[in-house]
Amino acid sequence: MKKKILSVLLALTMVASLAACDNGGKASEESSSSSGAPSIDASKMEEAEKAGADFENGKFKETKKIVVEIYDRGNDGGSDPENNLYTDYIKKGMLEDHNVEVTFKKVPRWTEVDEINNLLAAGTAPDVCVTYSYPTIQTYANMGGVIDLAPYIEQYKSEIPNLWNWLGETNIYWDRDPKTGTLWCVEAKLAVSNRVITFVRQDWLDKLGLKAPTTKAEFESMLVAFKDNASTLLGSDASKIVPYSVSYDVGWRAATLIESFLDPAMSDKEYYVNGFDDRKLTQNGTKEGVRLLNKWYNMGLMWNDFAQYGSGDTTEDDMMKAGFVGAFTHNWDYPYRNGDDSINANLQRNVGPNAKFVAIDPFEDKNGTHTKFVSGPIDRKVFFPATNDEPLASLLYLDWISAPEHIQYLQIGDEGVTHDVTADGAIQVKAATGNAIMNSGMNIDYTITVNGLKLTSDELTNKSRALNYPGIPAEDVVNSHKIANTDLRVGKNVNVGAIEAEEGIGDTLSQKRDIAYDKAVVASTADFDKVWDEEIKNYLSAGGQAIIDERTEKWEEFFGSSDMLK
Amino acid sequence: MSDGMKKGIRSRSSVPVVKKKVSFKVYMKRYWQLYVLLALPLIYLLVFKYIPMAYVQIAFKKYQLNKSIWAMPLAKKNGFEYYIKAFKDRDFLFALRNTLLLNLKDLVFGFPAPIIFALVLNELPFKGFKKVVQTIAYMPHFLSWVIIGNLSLQLFAKDTGMVNMLIKSLGGSSIPFIAESAHWVRTYIGWGIWQSFGWNSIVYLAAIAGISPDLYEAASMDGAGRFQKMWHITLPSLKPTIVVLLIMNLGYIMGGGMERPMALYNNLVMDKADVIATYVYRVGIKGLQFSLTTAVGLFQSVVGVILILTANFVSRKLGERGIW
Repeated sequence: MKKKILSVLLALTMVASLAACDNGGKASEESSSSSGAPSIDASKMEEAEKAGADFENGKFKETKKIVVEIYDRGNDGGSDPENNLYTDYIKKGMLEDHNVEVTFKKVPRWTEVDEINNLLAAGTAPDVCVTYSYPTIQTYANMGGVIDLAPYIEQYKSEIPNLWNWLGETNIYWDRDPKTGTLWCVEAKLAVSNRVITFVRQDWLDKLGLKAPTTKAEFESMLVAFKDNASTLLGSDASKIVPYSVSYDVGWRAATLIESFLDPAMSDKEYYVNGFDDRKLTQNGTKEGVRLLNKWYNMGLMWNDFAQYGSGDTTEDDMMKAGFVGAFTHNWDYPYRNGDDSINANLQRNVGPNAKFVAIDPFEDKNGTHTKFVSGPIDRKVFFPATNDEPLASLLYLDWISAPEHIQYLQIGDEGVTHDVTADGAIQVKAATGNAIMNSGMNIDYTITVNGLKLTSDELTNKSRALNYPGIPAEDVVNSHKIANTDLRVGKNVNVGAIEAEEGIGDTLSQKRDIAYDKAVVASTADFDKVWDEEIKNYLSAGGQAIIDERTEKWEEFFGSSDMLK
Repeated sequence: MSDGMKKGIRSRSSVPVVKKKVSFKVYMKRYWQLYVLLALPLIYLLVFKYIPMAYVQIAFKKYQLNKSIWAMPLAKKNGFEYYIKAFKDRDFLFALRNTLLLNLKDLVFGFPAPIIFALVLNELPFKGFKKVVQTIAYMPHFLSWVIIGNLSLQLFAKDTGMVNMLIKSLGGSSIPFIAESAHWVRTYIGWGIWQSFGWNSIVYLAAIAGISPDLYEAASMDGAGRFQKMWHITLPSLKPTIVVLLIMNLGYIMGGGMERPMALYNNLVMDKADVIATYVYRVGIKGLQFSLTTAVGLFQSVVGVILILTANFVSRKLGERGIW
């Protein structure tokens, strides 16, 4: 009897569960049919028009609410990225100027793509999202998860003058589909196109009587000299020396070295076709760059454990700060960032007043120049997920944070607190304390439409750039800036619409790329070719080749037999 | 069933109760508290195990964000597009092989460990010492894999790992414990055993505690030594427990969590370390290919069920109790 009752109960639960699914399914089916991909826009547009009715002189009559994504860098001594001095400034301004109530939602900086994926999939993404990964946006757009910005940008053009003035057609329409005219995101603008350069310990060079290297050969002998003189340089810590340091992301952290093996005169077509990977894995020449790294690794000139530590780990930075690292390649201002906690400030505390990293430009290409391949003037991508019910309010937000005076305040803060004004009117940033500390340099995480110092006038910007890093001598910054701007090859916008083969594969390929770089660097010299070829084959068969093929096809469709863009 | 019930009720009202059978009503009245208690786990199963089963169909459909699962279009090749894709994907085949190999090695080296530990512990004469050892052995079970992953890095990294620093200071050269595939597999298995043998020994210790002391006394009278008692009494008494656990472990051979490989792997050992769970996470969740990974997940479950059924069948054939 008991058994029978039990089985009935079980059967009932099964039936009930099926029924529940069925109902749930039907319900959502109905709702989805009313908001299918094409009709989303229509209904949103209607809403927007309705919104237009209670919208006058740039202000909503009824308070609108939007949620904005903000990177959380989790840095020591920082403030809550969702609530601090600067968010209050934005919130207050948006409420006063447009009657829009802004809330921030933090997303961990180093896993932002994963996090945004999860939020989008769960339907809880912020109204204004920002990411560095266009493929993520494209993938969600194909699933109907992203708003097409094109009609709004046109319709509200007069309401968003600051956004138009700052980004211009170039950046706003950078990703517009050439055939359908859809626009899934706007591209933030790079105020300076400086990318990565190489740094070396000035005090080590002085101690060993070396000159700053200007070629790869000189750089290599400098690394050897560091290693051979480890006990002079580090004393009892000699065994901890790392002459040249990279992270697991070799393609980025040795970019200038790798790029020096690329042909500076490479055609736009070749650069584009092989250019899905921004770490240049599939470009011609990269292999030789990695071969040199492999040689250095096997000579004991590099950090053995670089591949073990993942994204966002601070072990490598800590080694730099402790003074064990001789040279490294990184963002053009990396050792100067973060005020009191900058690498150079830490070095001075830990090692001595003369210890510091300075910029050098040692990797010559085949012409003897120092070509650096930088992207176009684009940076982060800002998009609105389909769950955004306030496209106008969200656009007004982008407009507000693109206003020159707002950018300036967010970048330099209050006079006397985060900056001083010098005699000739330049802005000298100083280390802030307490509430005024910025979680990211120049509040880059809040100024999502700009990357790089951009003050209200160009003159002021140029005057102030070198004074932007508290505690760092101006000439060091000027030197870095100069090197980062030497022999630039700026990327062009090859707009051929969506490449289907790139959809949903970005993460997989990025990891394969890192694996290829890491394994090739640590391979034994004899195995290098075998390992590299094997890993490249892997990368290509996992989707890399399909992308190259489709890019070639699309290029030929749009630009015919021409190899260069106009 | 319902017929019988109705008959029961009718017979009760017309004929005086002769049979011992109790009617449904009376039965429920008497035991309803137990059924209410049973309802909680049933609801749990319903919400978290049965309702999600409806979503299995994503494996046969082209996933779309803005449609319900019932409205998504069928995938190409009669819905089998993603299965074909998976079995052509080198990464998936590697993950499949690694899942089987790592779990098999876990079974071979990890399964006997708690049994041996329980036997050894059982022979300890000092109760206090035994308790201390037991508690220390449990502890790693409560550490999350993320912590163990970091421990592993701090101990075994080539330059910065403590163990390698020690080896180097003694004049040796560092061992790539976690930087080279073959070494990594050993490290992985080692951490697994370290983390779980203490905890897994509990069930064996409980079984040992249930063995009648008479048996040992009788054996001693017959002059059996320690090892003979262990071999002829303890182990045979543990046999049913061992078999049940072995069957359950066989079911996991296609499965396994993702935390452990994820926390321990790195770019240099992915060819040996990527398992189905991490593949599903990476390709499916991060790469947004939900259909592909649902297909992989379903395949994994089906094979798991087949393995359990087979093991159960074999064990019953061999005269042991199965799990059902």
